Amino acid sequence: MSAEVEETLKRIQTHKGVIGTIVVNAEGIPIRTTLDNSTTVQYAGLLHQLTMKARSTVRDLDPQNDLTFLRIRSKKHEIMVAPDKEYLLIVIQNPSE
Amino acid sequence: MVSYSKETQTPADTQTHTQAKPGCCVCVRACVAEEEEEEEEMADPKPAEDSQEEKADEEEKQEEVLPKELTEEEKMHLLNSEEFMAFFDRGSRIVERALSERVDVCFDYSGRDLEDREGEMQAGAKMSLSRVFSDERWSKNRVVTCLDWSPQYPELLVASYNSNDDAPHEPDGVALVWNMKYKKTTPEYTFHCQSAVMSAAFARFHPNLIVGGTYSGQIVLWDNRSNKRTSVQRTPLSASAHTHPVYCVNVVGTENAHNLISISTDGKMCSWNLDMLSQPQDSLELVFKQSKAVAVTSMAFPLGDVNNFVVGSEDGSLYTACRHGSKAGISDVFDGHHGPVTGLSCHSAGGPVDFSHLFISASFDWTVKLWTTKSTRPLYLFEDSCDYVYDVMWSPTHPALFACVDGSGRLDLWNLNNDTEVPSASVVVDGSPALNRVRWAHSGREIATGDSDGQVLVYDVGEKICVPKADEWTRFVHTLVEINENRDEGDELAAQRLLA
Repeated sequence: MSAEVEETLKRIQTHKGVIGTIVVNAEGIPIRTTLDNSTTVQYAGLLHQLTMKARSTVRDLDPQNDLTFLRIRSKKHEIMVAPDKEYLLIVIQNPSE
Repeated sequence: MVSYSKETQTPADTQTHTQAKPGCCVCVRACVAEEEEEEEEMADPKPAEDSQEEKADEEEKQEEVLPKELTEEEKMHLLNSEEFMAFFDRGSRIVERALSERVDVCFDYSGRDLEDREGEMQAGAKMSLSRVFSDERWSKNRVVTCLDWSPQYPELLVASYNSNDDAPHEPDGVALVWNMKYKKTTPEYTFHCQSAVMSAAFARFHPNLIVGGTYSGQIVLWDNRSNKRTSVQRTPLSASAHTHPVYCVNVVGTENAHNLISISTDGKMCSWNLDMLSQPQDSLELVFKQSKAVAVTSMAFPLGDVNNFVVGSEDGSLYTACRHGSKAGISDVFDGHHGPVTGLSCHSAGGPVDFSHLFISASFDWTVKLWTTKSTRPLYLFEDSCDYVYDVMWSPTHPALFACVDGSGRLDLWNLNNDTEVPSASVVVDGSPALNRVRWAHSGREIATGDSDGQVLVYDVGEKICVPKADEWTRFVHTLVEINENRDEGDELAAQRLLA
């Protein structure tokens, strides 16, 4: 993997409050992660489904539109998903830190 | 449009579904409905439903298959591909921008959402571990004997350590200066000396000097401007200075008129000028009733006072004393503890009401006692611990808050305005080592504690606990009145029982 990608991932992971970073492919399989295996598989699976649903919602409302960014704010965390045709970049942050 | 429906269906097939089967079917139904004309909507769902059922069966079978995992090679291949680079470039850009936004749109100023969370987030919100400082070579196998925060640079913390029994060739006494600001895990400065360091302090009006009191009775001075790790000045090992372990060192006074005060366990108190440590400026023997020398283990000066101070001794008694005047020496004795006094702290949170007559003491008898210099009987007894209490300190900012540490690894925060029977917050250090020292940072927001394994742990204290509200001082006045009333009632009952 290129050094730039490595460096960017490290920069994101060491950002204030970031708990974990996961890169998921089109099939929902995690290909790079900073969390433990069971948590990763859980996040990857659930967020992949959610992103698919969100994308289809956006497209249904306006077929010319597409999903660019998904952000879920919960009491404890904030989950950010940057989707693409082929991959998903998931970052989990604790915003109160 | 046809290609779109294919897109959503293919992932649905290879994915393992935990639930969402109905979800996918909804997707399919929705996009099918979108595509078809409205008139055909009624007719279409039926064939669509049939295909949905087929899909459902397929998906059920898929569920039993284990989730497909990629080998490392496949992953690396994906990660090196062009599309991934393009995606990552875009995605990481957006994510980094989003991460840098610090606005919390959900913040509730009424505090109602915090009340909901109180039950589950109690301990977590109150104290959280921020840093652990430990050095493989210099702090392992040593006990942290003293801690002090720098008055000039709030991020610097000095920790002194005693000898390492496993390394007889290394110096017995070590003092390390740690830096909270940076993430590096090695000490900012490393100092050593030949005898175990029992107490250490930043010299208040000399930002470059660190004072250490050692087991041999020598007082050493380290300077961070020098390149040496050994001390730049040392007091003599003679009868004019100290010949017993020095557990208390403190710089008292003002910028222009200050002294280094040191007391050793044979009751000798010396005051020094930091420029010349070859002989003490002044010395005084602390004896009680002209005969008994006081074995001083801890000392504290009330806020703003340079003459009167309180000392605690090995036999459990507490004394007030003064440095100058006709009655220089021990003045009053307090009822004290049933075991050696390990820590003393005078009230230091300045505010609308002056509580500088209050002080607290910790001892091997498992208790912490609250005293006032105006009375020899304790005001209150805190008996929540089940082990030796090794140190105690008032918060520098909150008038009713103090921290104590004990031998079972517990760090307790007591807020007397909330509850005097149990600590308001408590945390047990991982591995339950005995915690030897506790020191609040000057901001009152962080707390450092040193344990018997040579680790210095710094905790962040939640705002709700450590930041005083405007009425804390008046509330503390009421709390003290209540404490006084209870004490008098208790005494009356005891007196009645004696008479009866």
